Amino acid sequence: MVMSEGGTMGGAVEGGDASRLRHALQHAAHRLPIQGPIGVFVHHNTLHAFQHIPFEQAVLEASKAFRSEPFLTEAGYRAAKAKGRILDVDLDVVLAREPDATVLPGRLTRRQLLAAWLKAGCRTVPAETIPWHLEEGDWLERFRDDLSEAARKGLAGTSPRALWECCLARVPRPVGGDAVMPRRPADVVAGLDEAVHPTLIRLAGAFLDQGVAYWPMPLRCDGFFRACVQLLSRPASIAPPGLEGLKDAFQGLGEARVDAEAAVLQCLGELGVPPGEWDGFVEAELLALPGWAGMMSLLESKPGLAPHIIVPARLVDFLAVRLVLLVTATRGALGGASVWRSRRIPAEAEGHLERVASVFDAAQVVGLGAAALAALDDRLLGQFVEAIQAAGPLERRRILHLAYERRHERLILVPLRQHLAAGRLSRPQGRPMAQMVFCIDDREESIRRAIEEIEPSIETHGAAGFFGCAIDYAGIDDAGPVSLCPVVVTPQHAVREGPAEGHADTHERRRALRRLWSRWVRSGNVASQTLVRGLFSTIVLGFFSLFPLVLRVLSPLGYARMVGWLNARFLPEPRTELRFMRHDESAREATRGLFLGFSVSEMADRVGNVLGPMGMKSGHARLVVVLGHGSTSLNNPHESAYDCGACGGRQGGPNARLFATLANHPQVRAELRSRGLVIPDDTWFLGGYHDTCSDDIDLFDLDRMPATHGPDLAALRAVLDQARQRNAHERVRRFEVAPPSLAPEEALRHVMQRSEHLGEPRPEYGHSTNAVAFVGRRDTTRGLFLDRRAFLVSYDLEADPTARFLGNILGAVIPVCGGISLEYYFSTVDNEVLGCGTKLPHNVIGLVGVMNGMQGDLRTGLTWQMVEIHEPVRILFVVENAPEVVLRVIHANPELKEWLENRWIRLACVDAARAAISVYRGDGVFEPLEGDEVALPRVRCSADHYRGQRGHLPLARIEAGSATHAACCDRH
Amino acid sequence: MKTLLLLALALPGVLFMASGLAWLAGLKAPEPIVSRLTKASYLFSFLVFSVEAVRLLFLHDPSLDLRLGDWFATAHAHFGVELLFDRLSVPLLWLASLLVGIVAAFSGRYMHKDPGFHRYFNLLNLFGFGAFLVAAAGSVELLMAGWELVGITSVLLIGFFQERPEPVGNALRVYGYYRVADIFLVASVMLGHLWFGGIEFAHLHLPDAAAGGSWKVTATALLLIMAACGKSSVGPFFGWLPRAMEGPTPSSAIFYGAVSVHLGAFLLLRAEPLLRASGTAAAALVLLGGASALLGTLLHRSANDAKTMLAHATQTQLGLIFVEIGMGWTGVAAFHITGHAIVRTAQFLRAPSLLHEHLHVHAAAGGELAPTGEHLEALVPRRAQWWLYRVAMGAGFYEAVVSRALVAPLARLTDGLALLEPAPAKPRSTGPLDASRTEETQR
Repeated sequence: MVMSEGGTMGGAVEGGDASRLRHALQHAAHRLPIQGPIGVFVHHNTLHAFQHIPFEQAVLEASKAFRSEPFLTEAGYRAAKAKGRILDVDLDVVLAREPDATVLPGRLTRRQLLAAWLKAGCRTVPAETIPWHLEEGDWLERFRDDLSEAARKGLAGTSPRALWECCLARVPRPVGGDAVMPRRPADVVAGLDEAVHPTLIRLAGAFLDQGVAYWPMPLRCDGFFRACVQLLSRPASIAPPGLEGLKDAFQGLGEARVDAEAAVLQCLGELGVPPGEWDGFVEAELLALPGWAGMMSLLESKPGLAPHIIVPARLVDFLAVRLVLLVTATRGALGGASVWRSRRIPAEAEGHLERVASVFDAAQVVGLGAAALAALDDRLLGQFVEAIQAAGPLERRRILHLAYERRHERLILVPLRQHLAAGRLSRPQGRPMAQMVFCIDDREESIRRAIEEIEPSIETHGAAGFFGCAIDYAGIDDAGPVSLCPVVVTPQHAVREGPAEGHADTHERRRALRRLWSRWVRSGNVASQTLVRGLFSTIVLGFFSLFPLVLRVLSPLGYARMVGWLNARFLPEPRTELRFMRHDESAREATRGLFLGFSVSEMADRVGNVLGPMGMKSGHARLVVVLGHGSTSLNNPHESAYDCGACGGRQGGPNARLFATLANHPQVRAELRSRGLVIPDDTWFLGGYHDTCSDDIDLFDLDRMPATHGPDLAALRAVLDQARQRNAHERVRRFEVAPPSLAPEEALRHVMQRSEHLGEPRPEYGHSTNAVAFVGRRDTTRGLFLDRRAFLVSYDLEADPTARFLGNILGAVIPVCGGISLEYYFSTVDNEVLGCGTKLPHNVIGLVGVMNGMQGDLRTGLTWQMVEIHEPVRILFVVENAPEVVLRVIHANPELKEWLENRWIRLACVDAARAAISVYRGDGVFEPLEGDEVALPRVRCSADHYRGQRGHLPLARIEAGSATHAACCDRH
Repeated sequence: MKTLLLLALALPGVLFMASGLAWLAGLKAPEPIVSRLTKASYLFSFLVFSVEAVRLLFLHDPSLDLRLGDWFATAHAHFGVELLFDRLSVPLLWLASLLVGIVAAFSGRYMHKDPGFHRYFNLLNLFGFGAFLVAAAGSVELLMAGWELVGITSVLLIGFFQERPEPVGNALRVYGYYRVADIFLVASVMLGHLWFGGIEFAHLHLPDAAAGGSWKVTATALLLIMAACGKSSVGPFFGWLPRAMEGPTPSSAIFYGAVSVHLGAFLLLRAEPLLRASGTAAAALVLLGGASALLGTLLHRSANDAKTMLAHATQTQLGLIFVEIGMGWTGVAAFHITGHAIVRTAQFLRAPSLLHEHLHVHAAAGGELAPTGEHLEALVPRRAQWWLYRVAMGAGFYEAVVSRALVAPLARLTDGLALLEPAPAKPRSTGPLDASRTEETQR
């Protein structure tokens, strides 16, 4: 349902001011979050606005703009260091890459200071407690216990008290900073945001509502500003607290018939903001409610993202209403709207004691005694103090983070090299029993490993989950078509699912019944909440709600089975087929100009573009299974965050089904044969769907499979059932609710129950713990236990002499996997500002997002329950090809070049034959990997490696033992 | 049977005490034990109360009036500990144990790994005990003890996420509403003793209308009505229920969908003799309830987020329940309370599914949902519609009036008093939740 946009009224705004305002809005919009309505969740770089800047600089700038954390807290890194996750050698290596400077000639350099301080640990206490530590604590009694030998030697002969006295006497007092001008009124006036936000949020929520409210906001089609002007200028209304004069302000705007731009300019004038400061002011004001402002801005630029109702959202309207409310509130609080500009924010100066305490700590750590300190002249002392200031908390956290990532790099690449040196694991010769193509998703790594362990003659491969088919798809149960492809791609082809021949009646019956059901449910819902219908429905139907409620909470699986039985009994599904063939070359869909289906050469293109780069050009197995994936969970507004990112945040089953159908088509096979991709005549492709939450695998179109492949399918099914159990068993080790000694069948039941459980905030862990993306042959990584932390993209460099396929693959995979990795990084490092906090108080509003509790900002990012086990590191791409080739391919694409050169991703290149790995260090330099300090344990099966462990696991090499051992694994 | 009933009543309180004492001693039971013990205790209570309900309602056994002695007694008055298990209290006990048990089962998973897990379950158990006490209380004093427990646990659960200012601010606001309403309850206790020798539900001695004491009955009834309005967010205390949505979802379910808000109606059902004897009070009740129902439905129509919609729908039905009680249709009211509590609990627990369910229904309807709210547009002229919407946006202006007329002057007073205190140390930002987030420790 599309609403028309109202035109502007009133006088036009002057050219110069208008363009300046437009510029300010564009600048602000760029900084706002771009997460769309929450029904479709797409992972992207949370700091996309800063992607043109190198990573370390960008997070610091973003932390100033958004008041967010750039890295984990220092305590977090120290805890990791205590557990051995950061080693001293990592700090040394990272510091060796940092610029050095002399602090005390002959005694101390900047690197030495940081090294000593980071290895021993900086002792920070809150400033107010320093006197307590001095008087009651033991700061003056003894030095720190954890000093190095060298430091202790340097401190011999000095007492702590003497050192403290010396520091106290000599460290200069910090110079008080100047009071700063406020950027926005709320910086210097308390309670302005609390006055403005409730009204603004209620209005914005009502405007963007996608069909939740019984009574939609009137006048929505006129745009947000005009609707608010009309509604807020109603007579006989009482203003909310803090906004006295609201009615008059909006009545004035309504009578003068100003439009939103003019209102903004008027308010900016009243607030006394000069044109030079408009950019900063508008950005600061909009970033006070980033979620709502971001949603308004996004729906202005991409109105099609709105799930049901396209509303004429405009960021300038939102800004106008906000500024009018702000002017009213400021007038009420201060008497005048521009009085705030004369106030100043007092500078936050570090206290003298704080500075002395940090010098005291640093002196201990580097072994500078009282005498030595006293002997320093003022210039050197000043240098020393300055160096300590420069090694402040943010700098220390940055170094610790780089060391954290460096250790991760070693923990992955060193064992990988040993794995390569040990050679490929042997595989049975001859034709594989089956070949399976999964999405590159990191969650599929464990089921692929399980399948390969159970039946080593099965080959698994990874391809982006849309399997080359970017389609506009509508299933028989869907309301309308959706795009099943990465978000940056616009599908050109429409594919529809329809009932198979002879099943049209079933389909019609089912559709009618579903319509009836939906009317009944909707009226029931509505009825239970309104006045008169509510009276009857709660009295009469109330008791009947009891049994579903009790059953759902106490026995989720039982309830799900009952509902499944009811569905099968009363709403049987017809057999369906995909409408994907275009016989008439120019047949286009009427409304949007999409091609209705594919022509034969287009089909061959798609199949060839997936099978070719993977190296599957001939000798296919009798069965090739292609599995898309998605996730189902209950009571979860972020359900789409678990779906396939390559399918734009949706489930990839239709893509897999389509791919298999295309690959089975005789004309397509003939066309492919002429292009050099020979699929044997007895190969059959099957499409399927893997639910990563309940570990269900559904295969489609089994009735079309020739009877000759029946036994193959039965054998494969047995393998898949066993693999599902092992996969569930491996996943379950992460869930603390599950007892550690579950058997594989019980583990499968547990994960199925999680996906049907009403009260489960962690149905699965999604992309949590993702850290690596491997682009290369499966044979190179086969047998490596990667702990579900690696995206695996199948790429055969021998089939790609010109590196053209590599360019296509990296062009898709780097943005998608990099986006996922960065979304998880930022939501872990600062869950309150860049993520959306804990799930428990979330309240779905208007179908566009969630907010906390009764009313608040629209939350963006990932929930705490999704990132609690994540290790925040930038994703490490490991590409199996020559470094020069990879660099050339990446540099040829400006977007990829930005990703790499600005260090948003890390890169390493692998040469499997020579077991050599080179790590990219920037500016075109690859460093060969040296060293062997990380062991690669050899285990007989995955279960042996992860049994009883809840945390992250190192890489291991799985040398599958005899068949008897494989059977014994399932009894664990 | 008596001991079983007493045990069933006291069990949540015992769990609370045990867990609290253990916490003071520095011990904390592992999550599965807490969760299982809680579920088991509510299951036990549920079974005992079911048996008792069958006995009372279907076998028509007499009610059980247990006098457990006096807390204290003076020459003129006594605070008796008297429990009454009759046809009004046992169904409520049954309902409360059922719903709290379901929510406890739900919360065991939902609150897993939250730093406040133990705090949550402690508060839930204390609340269960308070609710049981309110239901089984034989006199207004004992009812008030339970009432207070329910109030404080409800407030502490609204402010459960104590690191953020909004939940804590809203919790304080709700606490204010509760305290003001409780003044009326205290007054009714005092005046009840003065005028009627105590309001004991099993044997209430009301003066004859002819003896001229009818204004006393009306006054007491009005006080009880005001207290009930406070708990059920009706009438003068209309505004607080949406603010209570700050807590975790299951706490919203059990308090504001299921049990706590219905305790106000329960108090009125207990006070039925007073209402019957006083036509004025009954009329006042009908008016208050009706007005709240109408305002609630208006606000519900414009609400567009899951929890606020349910809050306003609850207020609407509570208003209607009050009307029913005022009209003397107590049987209907009892059914209404039971059915409503069950429906709302289910809806609150499923509130986060709003997105998924809406999309599902939308898809099943073929992509076009019938528009709602159109009969209003047909009946009411446009400008009046806009005015009504403005009223709905401002939540009936109720909160605006309360904030500006009551809260703001109070805040100015306390701000003035705060000048007498030393300046607090500037709070350090607690920093983000990092990977080593641990459970709450006792301070």
